[in-house]
Amino acid sequence: MSVLKKIRVVEFAEGVPGPLAALRLSDLGADVIKVETQDGDWLRHAAPALPDSHMSAAFFELNRGKRSVRLDEHLTLAALLKNADVFITDRTPEELAALGVDGIDAEPYAANPKLVRVSISFWGDQGPLRLHKGSELAAQAMAGYTRYLGSRDTPSCRLGADVACAGTGIFAVQATLAALIARAKSGTGQRVTLSLLNSLLALKSIHLAAQSDPDVYAGPRVGGANYPPERGWKTGDEPIFFAFGGSVGAEGRPGWVKFCEEAGFNSLLEDPRFDKIGRDSTGYGIHVQALRAEYEREFARYSAEELVALIRKHAGNAASYQRADHALAHPQTQALNVVREVPAANGATVRVRAFPARFSQLQPEIKGVAPALGEHTQTVAAEIRG
Amino acid sequence: MRVMDVSIMAAGPWTAALLGMLGAEVIKVEPPAGDGTRWVAPTQKGMGTNYMSMNVNKKDIVLDFKKAEDRATALELAATCDVFVQNFRVGVIERLGLDYESLRKVNPDIVYCAISGFGEVGPLAKAGCADYIMQAYSGFARLNGAPGETLEAFRFTGFLDLTTASVATEAVLAALLERAMGGSGQKVEVSMLEAALEIQATRIAEYLGGGLIPAPRGSESPGIVPDRAFATLDDEVFVTAHNDAEFAGFCRALERPQLAADPRFLSNRLRVEHREALFAEVAPVFKARPALWWQRVMQREGVACTQAFRFETFRHHQQVVMNEMIANVATRDWGTVSVAGLPWHFAQTPCGVFEAPRPGADTAAVLADLAARKSGVRA
Repeated sequence: MSVLKKIRVVEFAEGVPGPLAALRLSDLGADVIKVETQDGDWLRHAAPALPDSHMSAAFFELNRGKRSVRLDEHLTLAALLKNADVFITDRTPEELAALGVDGIDAEPYAANPKLVRVSISFWGDQGPLRLHKGSELAAQAMAGYTRYLGSRDTPSCRLGADVACAGTGIFAVQATLAALIARAKSGTGQRVTLSLLNSLLALKSIHLAAQSDPDVYAGPRVGGANYPPERGWKTGDEPIFFAFGGSVGAEGRPGWVKFCEEAGFNSLLEDPRFDKIGRDSTGYGIHVQALRAEYEREFARYSAEELVALIRKHAGNAASYQRADHALAHPQTQALNVVREVPAANGATVRVRAFPARFSQLQPEIKGVAPALGEHTQTVAAEIRG
Repeated sequence: MRVMDVSIMAAGPWTAALLGMLGAEVIKVEPPAGDGTRWVAPTQKGMGTNYMSMNVNKKDIVLDFKKAEDRATALELAATCDVFVQNFRVGVIERLGLDYESLRKVNPDIVYCAISGFGEVGPLAKAGCADYIMQAYSGFARLNGAPGETLEAFRFTGFLDLTTASVATEAVLAALLERAMGGSGQKVEVSMLEAALEIQATRIAEYLGGGLIPAPRGSESPGIVPDRAFATLDDEVFVTAHNDAEFAGFCRALERPQLAADPRFLSNRLRVEHREALFAEVAPVFKARPALWWQRVMQREGVACTQAFRFETFRHHQQVVMNEMIANVATRDWGTVSVAGLPWHFAQTPCGVFEAPRPGADTAAVLADLAARKSGVRA
């Protein structure tokens, strides 16, 4: 079943957030028309490209299954919106008005009261930065994310993942679905606004709260920039991360004792500091730095794989740090059937990820073929004319 | 809309909180020992700030699932709800009799959201998980750090938990829409693993489609150039040009317009190929003037350019305040706490952020309402 089967989405957005949101709606059955300007979505020109193609791999993943149109005298944005259920855009109301679409931020939207309008900006719909350019990197810096990587004395690092863009894309799918649920009752659509900065601040709610008015100093949860980079615990080969009892509760200690006994880590069992601050010396506890060297001296005798297995055996949590390509190839990820093969335009196939959740009833579709720039302009124009 | 939330820690609770922010009535069910986040440091006036941020917009009742009587009450309560959220380790929920099959029998319309670490099938289905575990496992941490380093975890716990909650909310809303269109209830399965891969969407696409092995790149990204931090006369600036037009603006702002016509830098793909040559040209230019200047001229040319902020500098920033990106919630017992504002702003649907409940505060009222529903009288 495809919950969005009769839903038409018009996407006028570039890069990642809007296109990712429309992709997931497409997976759920929606018909997505991607509106592009003369040079096309900038993501088309990003590196790396698909083999034997000029299309960027990221563009393919985020735009597979969509149709691409360029606006001309036969196909206006206003006409597209008249026939749509959902409009996802990163353009301001002023930019849209210049294209002949008036009142996109009015309630109701007079030209099509049923239209759900999802508006994505860098910095928010109000305020002094409203019209400023932004980016994934700029959003991470402004939301304070870069302070939790690297150290004070070295050049800043960003999170390698595009967390602001993908995070906003996910929130935008929520916004669309919630507005469609409301529409099913009220019969009218509405405007919803989101921004990259807003999304990143929402996704750090735990840290906002931790810094509000803390009773006690709790290390990296309160600071961040003054702590050394977190690279896990060294072993005989790859570093691992581990914790007993998560970050809370004393229930992890019996497992920790058994783990140390089986591994022969007698020095840890005999060190009185582990009695006193042991609970906070694994995971991301405040005393991790104080005792890390003690662990690592013992861990050097084992491989990451051996240690992870031993820790899990004694009810601890552990994983070795692996690259995403190894994570995708791991039997666990394979068991979830995350990666699928879909056709590309030139007859080749491309591996992509499926919808990130599974349902007992809904069957997300994994469509192939990302459109060439403006490929569907004429067919869509003919459809609109009816 | 009524949501029953028997989850603990972050990924499950924030799913229910997001549904609460969208206007649902959320009933959090805590064990007598309490959700562990109540004690995670730091506390504020004795209550875990983690608990306060993850449980906004909820009522709170205490049930002891070790007692058959309370398990029966839980099942009765679930029969009155539209959504059920749980993040027990795979296998535990069946023992409690609160698995999907059991709930479906009493409430076929329920949307049942099961959140796990690694998914419900496969060799690690029963393995425990937490934010840093998934940062390590999913490749998220190995994308971070200075070039040439192997990895650096995000020293900022809970990011992947909240990402998982966000994906879970997306999936629950899809199932609720299906129901609103006349479908039945269903089970929704969300794993931290798949959520962690979703937040890495672009980097994984670059690997799957383009063969690019994921690696730490400092402040740079693999796909576009320029997109990185530059040292200035004082503070660093973070600058991005997404396309050729923005790159031309970047060159004008640097007073080096000729760079835009340099054959090495004519297109994004060429700039990616010659990124070191470009940085060698522009880094000394940035270094000669302060961050304030570069922000002014880049903005004038339509190019993204900002400085890094921190809690103390962004919390009162007019942009954050005017868009209500942070909610400063006054609580009865714990003072005012800053938590996530609404991630979406609806023109019509009323949404809001309300203080987390005192543990067990609503047990009597919710159970009385349940008894009244059973006897056919709405309380």
